[in-house]
Amino acid sequence: MNYSMVKCLMLKDWYLQRWTIAASLAAGAVTLAIILSGNKAAFYIGLLLLITVVISVGAHLAISTMVLERKEQTLSFVMSLPISYREYTAAKILVNLVLFLIPWLALVLGSFAIILLAPGLPHGLLPYVAIMATEILVSTSFIVSVALISESQGWTVAAIIAGNLALNVVGYFVAHIGSIARTMGEATVQWSPAGIFVLVAEFAAIALLLGFTFFLQSRKKDFL
Amino acid sequence: MNDLSVHFEGVSKKYPHFTLENIGLELPTGSIMGFIGANGAGKSTTIRILMGLVHQDQGTVHVLGHPMPEEQAAAKLEIGYVSEDMRLYGAATLEWHMRFIRSIYPRWDQPYAESLLQRFDLKAEQKIKGLSHGQRVKAALLLALARRPRLLVLDEPTTGLDPVARHEVLGELMAVLADEDRTILFSSHNTLDVEQISDQITFIDRGRIIDSDDKEIFLDRWRRLRLVLPPDAALPKLSGIVQVGGSDRLPVLTTNSFKSDMVSACHNMGATVQAIDNMTLEEIFVANVQSRRERQTV
Repeated sequence: MNYSMVKCLMLKDWYLQRWTIAASLAAGAVTLAIILSGNKAAFYIGLLLLITVVISVGAHLAISTMVLERKEQTLSFVMSLPISYREYTAAKILVNLVLFLIPWLALVLGSFAIILLAPGLPHGLLPYVAIMATEILVSTSFIVSVALISESQGWTVAAIIAGNLALNVVGYFVAHIGSIARTMGEATVQWSPAGIFVLVAEFAAIALLLGFTFFLQSRKKDFL
Repeated sequence: MNDLSVHFEGVSKKYPHFTLENIGLELPTGSIMGFIGANGAGKSTTIRILMGLVHQDQGTVHVLGHPMPEEQAAAKLEIGYVSEDMRLYGAATLEWHMRFIRSIYPRWDQPYAESLLQRFDLKAEQKIKGLSHGQRVKAALLLALARRPRLLVLDEPTTGLDPVARHEVLGELMAVLADEDRTILFSSHNTLDVEQISDQITFIDRGRIIDSDDKEIFLDRWRRLRLVLPPDAALPKLSGIVQVGGSDRLPVLTTNSFKSDMVSACHNMGATVQAIDNMTLEEIFVANVQSRRERQTV
């Protein structure tokens, strides 16, 4: 693996997506401010907007860095560089993960800070928020996998929709797991075995999705 | 010593509706090969196999001594590639593209890149989306040339350009190529473009290489003989005739292996040779393709 070429490709995408990341951070900060405004309605609206911002940035990155690369025929330029498809795949997975983690981490940490510091919010909510934030990471990894394998806008949009539906389904079921539901309203943070299991399962799903995508793409024979 | 920059041997690639069959191609180092074929003949597939972007089903490919596609990354470090379907990043400037390529290719020649900027009349600070199609082709050529590649692969770079832009791009490309020795594979369906810059010609049709030779030898061995036959005389039987046109009395023979003794042979058989016409590369290409297709259908 030529790591310096992987780095070059990642820096290229970082440069081309830098305004997207900046805009998502700014929009995220606004949503956190709405949440903090104290009004209950503003809290829910802010939360909804925050989730929308995080999901949108992941979807936008996947479409811009992979699907549009084929659609706008810049893939031919990239593949003319001294790289193999294995290196291209590694660069795409890593750059999507790294770029997405910037706003994701900032906004997740911001949410944690609000739960822990803002008056009136039970600290017991934190495990549930962590699980749901990680679910968004799972959903984004799924979108990245589909975008990379299919290079198709249609399939990627379908993956975005499926990811969003999955987020709602997971949110509902996790909120109804007894040990998680019971501790959500507590004044202290309490990690139940079920909560830890769901979180570990989510990280395992991310590793499996991205690992499988890398394995599949590395065996691909025709790139253009 | 390996003096072939590109060597294809028995290369095949099968698609549902197209097959590239048994391609053998040799590009000696230092030569400029024009790779001519109609749309869909297999030029781009051959070039993609050369670049390691498509894996052949059968056969071996060596580019600059590297087996492909296994060592495509090492080979591509020494190749400059521009294709008709290649686009640069619209939101970035040409200067950013130059910096990006410079960070990858150790042989990047900045003074040469700057001289090409002037020669191609491009502005480094301009965004790619603000350039015309002709300027984008020139920008892609600049990025390929300034990395000082040992092999330059140009896949229909002039396709889609208006006549003025095409003339400009070709003129500038020829001026640049005159500067030094390079090995170039130039693919096009436009024989005029190829004729201007190539010293070797290869024709491809329906997924097969149908002819390959030195350009001058091509132009030398292909001729049209315009004959006048006496009434009731039969057409002289000559070897190397690939097409017969004209009328019964005024036949036009196309040969791919012209020799001066053909004229005397015609005279001996009672025919008068009215004219011996040189053929353009386009005429040679068309006659070559047609005669091969006729042989296939017989």
